[in-house]
Amino acid sequence: MSQSPSRMLDRWMSAGMLAPALLLVGVLVLIPSVLAVVGSFYEFGITSQNWVFVGLSNYARAMADPVFWTALKNNIFLIIGSIITQVGLGTLFAALLDRGVRRGNTFYRTIIFMPVIISSIAVAFVWILIFDPNVGPLNAVIKGIGLTPPRLGWLGDPNISLYMLLVIAAWQNVGFQMVLVLAGLQAIPKELYEAAALDGAKGWRAFVHITLPGIRNVLMVGTLICIIGGLKVFDLVFVTTGGGPANATQVIGSYTYLQAFTLGNMGYADALSVILLVVALGFGWLQLTLSRRG
Amino acid sequence: MPSLEIDNVKKSYDNFQALKGVSFRAEPGEFVVMVGPSGCGKSTLLRSIAGLETISSGAIRIDGRDIAHDDPSQRGVAMVFQNYALYPHMTVAQNMGFALKMAGRPKAEIDAAVQRAAQILRITEHLEKKPKALSGGQKQRVAIGRAITRSPDVFLFDEPLSNLDAALRSQMRIELGRLHAELKATMVYVTHDQTEAMTMASRIVVLNAGQIEQTGTPLELYNRPTNRFVAGFLGTPRMNFFAGRVVRQDGSAISVQLPGVDLNLDLTLEGEGPGVGGEIVLGARPEALDGAGGIEIKGTTAVVENLGREALVYVDTGALRTFDSESQEGYVAVHRPYQVEARFGAHTSIRLDASRLYAFGPDGRSIAFPRSL
Amino acid sequence: MNGRTRLVAIGMHLILTVWTIFVLAPIGLMLISAFKSQAEIFTKPLSLPGSLNLSAFQRAWNIGIGSFMLNSLLVTVLSVAVIITTSGLAAYVLARSEAKVMKWLYILIIASFAIPVQSVLVPLYQMVSGGHMLNSQLGIVLPYAAFGIPFTTVLFYAFFLEFPRELEEAARLDGCSRLQIFFRIVVPLSGPVVASAAIFQAVFNWNEFLLALMMLTEKSVRTLPVGIYGLTTQYSSDWPAIMAALTIATLPLLILFILAQRHFVRSLAGLGK
Repeated sequence: MSQSPSRMLDRWMSAGMLAPALLLVGVLVLIPSVLAVVGSFYEFGITSQNWVFVGLSNYARAMADPVFWTALKNNIFLIIGSIITQVGLGTLFAALLDRGVRRGNTFYRTIIFMPVIISSIAVAFVWILIFDPNVGPLNAVIKGIGLTPPRLGWLGDPNISLYMLLVIAAWQNVGFQMVLVLAGLQAIPKELYEAAALDGAKGWRAFVHITLPGIRNVLMVGTLICIIGGLKVFDLVFVTTGGGPANATQVIGSYTYLQAFTLGNMGYADALSVILLVVALGFGWLQLTLSRRG
Repeated sequence: MPSLEIDNVKKSYDNFQALKGVSFRAEPGEFVVMVGPSGCGKSTLLRSIAGLETISSGAIRIDGRDIAHDDPSQRGVAMVFQNYALYPHMTVAQNMGFALKMAGRPKAEIDAAVQRAAQILRITEHLEKKPKALSGGQKQRVAIGRAITRSPDVFLFDEPLSNLDAALRSQMRIELGRLHAELKATMVYVTHDQTEAMTMASRIVVLNAGQIEQTGTPLELYNRPTNRFVAGFLGTPRMNFFAGRVVRQDGSAISVQLPGVDLNLDLTLEGEGPGVGGEIVLGARPEALDGAGGIEIKGTTAVVENLGREALVYVDTGALRTFDSESQEGYVAVHRPYQVEARFGAHTSIRLDASRLYAFGPDGRSIAFPRSL
Repeated sequence: MNGRTRLVAIGMHLILTVWTIFVLAPIGLMLISAFKSQAEIFTKPLSLPGSLNLSAFQRAWNIGIGSFMLNSLLVTVLSVAVIITTSGLAAYVLARSEAKVMKWLYILIIASFAIPVQSVLVPLYQMVSGGHMLNSQLGIVLPYAAFGIPFTTVLFYAFFLEFPRELEEAARLDGCSRLQIFFRIVVPLSGPVVASAAIFQAVFNWNEFLLALMMLTEKSVRTLPVGIYGLTTQYSSDWPAIMAALTIATLPLLILFILAQRHFVRSLAGLGK
């Protein structure tokens, strides 16, 4: 059967409605990611148009670069640490708000969620002030109760600075995880708990058999958000420690920026981006398959 | 009043034929009810008339003009949806006037049409409300009002009462009957509920697996179903079916033997029978098994459904079992026009009267009807 | 209520209260420090300001917080508008069309959702600078839009899939074209999901740092995050001015949040679905 004119019109209209979004995403997301892959095989500077093909040597360089491995290790540390602190505390607070605490429910939720909407730059500066060795209130408190603060400073001591970053990240993001889990908890039908109570499952056993399976998906999403956030982390590290001291807190994001815009090694920066891209797409694929199954 | 003609309409999806050549004609002012089990194609056919589905071949004519490829809004049809499909962000009046507004009619004309429809449906005091402030029955009235406002050639109803509770449903059935009498419009109504079909239709179209099984007035279909499907589909509870065997044939007179009962029933065939030794299916409506005539078959009470003035009794008649019926165990459904004291296992009996039975050939076609009809 | 359950209840409140104080303390510190003098910051880190000193706000304002804020507002409003419009149109077509191509396009959108900005820094910078759009607001609005579209499209797609099909069919019978159905029926009923997406993208773009750092190097076009970052390298010891600047940058969003916190929480939690 031939296409009726209204169908043709429909087709053009669909194309027109799709075009702006596809054009923006294609030109500014998809093409650049392909260009990053291409660029990772070359050596070039910010302004120079002199591209030299170097094959896989940018990747070889990353494999041999101890700072790259430190950065990757730090990303993984931050991912695991934020899953434990943020998903853990978020779930705890959500459970308390959903079943235990009735009075002040909205108040707690509002306050705990508040840091989520504050820019990470503002968060970073406030915490720099808190940790400041000279004027920071933390040191004042520590000295006030007769203890000695770390000699190199909270952010200056490579042994503790990553943990401090974890504290700041938890301060900012626990509220988000809490709200996520809370939504999951509230989606569990009350009849399930009533049925479980009739079957003899109450309290702890109801939590294990009803609550946990009910929020399994939400916990998975929360974990995934921690993973993606931990891979993409940049602002916090860049502003608080700048990757220091001595690259101890470098992450892939900040190291890519350093290589590209401070040191001018654009090809190497591209290679680092591509490695991040592959890891991120891997997790994206994982999310897709997990959500399909769920 | 225009007529509606469906002419050999076929519709197929990828590997599935939803409509396998359907034809019927709704005369001007007729109330046609399309009924059938879910998946029979009745909704597809209605949506094809509306233009929400494109048909693969065939013609749909209103007053002789083929509209099968017209835009839905140009066909002169209006549709009442199962879930009302009222626009939540518009008032009742705006909902009802939307089609006229889209057609660019002057405001005064729209207002007049909306007022008139609202009066017919007695919803004038709700005109400025939003749909969510209305009850289910009121929403359904507004949905009907929206159709009336357009003064269409043909009204289409897609299971409009299935979301209402039982009391409201019977009230709306009466209302729709009144509306049809008042508007004298051609209406096509889809339902899976055979009670709605029996009570409202001036003509019923029974669809099954994309084909028409039979069309006719409600009583024609109830009394003289052309096949076992229609016989089983109309009537609650369903007709009882018994598998039997022809043991003797003399012209159009045959004797049938039923398993487990030592008796022969003599019937008069109207169609061609399966011949001696052939399989045959006898059908008995529940109300035909209570009475004085015929042969008594003893059994025990399995289930009693008291309806107040009357009762449905499911009888366990031992070896004589029904098939393709309401009760999985093959109990025989009997309608008693009086109250029955419910007692499981009590002795009771049914009466098989050959003059009140249907018979169906091996292909499911009706070959004998009750003599009283 | 017996003694033990009472103790448990108090324990629960205690846990939440401790974290609430932990959350509020830095915000309080920011506010208090903004009213202190530079001397007070050094000598009394733990005490309240001696007097309500607004000079830090004045210094922050003079440095250009006002123009940063205007830039942030412009960039955020523009990018959110572009994201909502383009994603809405695209998601509607994707959700309604049965063509195979659309399935693939949708998968492409999901895939681009997983691409982090960090992965395209160098090419994006070169494209924007090649197009002479460094230090222009449009130069940053377009990448913001491009990186916001995938998530928003997925969000809208899910909403449109659940949008009652009968309403659109009724509108077709009532004489609406496809575009009319979208704008007269679907859009007016998409308020909640649009609000969710807008809030989410607004918070995200208002706070975005990395792209802004890379592309907005001139002071006159900087948004708040890069503006404040630049400030601190110049005035690193003027803590009251920095805290005042942070207060000015943070307060509008915080007030908006407290006024519409239900909406905020719901829209950001929508990510989990």
